[in-house]
Amino acid sequence: MNTPNQDLEKRFYELVCYMVTSARNLVTETKLYGPFRLVDSASRLVEILPQMGVDSIRLQSIRRQIDDGKYTVMEDESTFSSYLESLVMALVKSMDE
Amino acid sequence: MELSLAIQNRRSVRAFRAEPIALDQLKALILEAAIWAPSGGNAQTWRFGLITRPDLIGKIKMISPGLLSQPAAVIVICQDMEEARRKGSDLAVNALSWMDTAMAAQNLMLAAHAAGIGTCAIASFHAKAVQKILDLPERIVPQLLVSLGYPSQSPKPPSRRTEVLWLNEYAESGS
Repeated sequence: MNTPNQDLEKRFYELVCYMVTSARNLVTETKLYGPFRLVDSASRLVEILPQMGVDSIRLQSIRRQIDDGKYTVMEDESTFSSYLESLVMALVKSMDE
Repeated sequence: MELSLAIQNRRSVRAFRAEPIALDQLKALILEAAIWAPSGGNAQTWRFGLITRPDLIGKIKMISPGLLSQPAAVIVICQDMEEARRKGSDLAVNALSWMDTAMAAQNLMLAAHAAGIGTCAIASFHAKAVQKILDLPERIVPQLLVSLGYPSQSPKPPSRRTEVLWLNEYAESGS
């Protein structure tokens, strides 16, 4: 059985694999996959935080918002851009919380 | 399921239930659907890796940014590039093998959909890393991954462009 530290290390390892492979593939991939991978990485990062004892309502909220809309990348560029804009505005709104 | 319904209702599924798919059913998707796709020059240089072990799926997922959620299985559609070159020269290596892979994948995904199984075709992966993880010979080149599982969500249909057709004489905006 893994220790909590080993579990955490594994989750970060998986995230690093995702980000590094994304970086490599994005050289030639669809342009909009770049912002998609960034927000998805942010979501995956926030998902790990409770395991580190970090309890953040605003970060969990932004993760939900990311996950609720991230696949608009498959719809059209303007929908996806509006969604990204709304994420930034949601972050601004929660800055002082 | 009627073919036109299967074609129009199939979706790229990126959220799966934690439920295994019977091995016979997975094999049938390959042996009764995928391999019956057209193949340029009838070369059939495709190879299908059926991956069901969670540890292997986990490793493939780590270097496949397009592979989302936790699928029950992943089919790695490969081509034997040495055989492709021998049978069809550069055209097979650079074009026909890719077309064959795509057509086999579509057969597989439609058959899966008809059986209630969700799929997603994934090109966002690192082919050499997949070769290494699966211990594939260098000539066996992964071209496409297909994730499979029972859907936990029904994606809404994306819009489709209809101004893509012309009749006889080319026109930019077709009809």
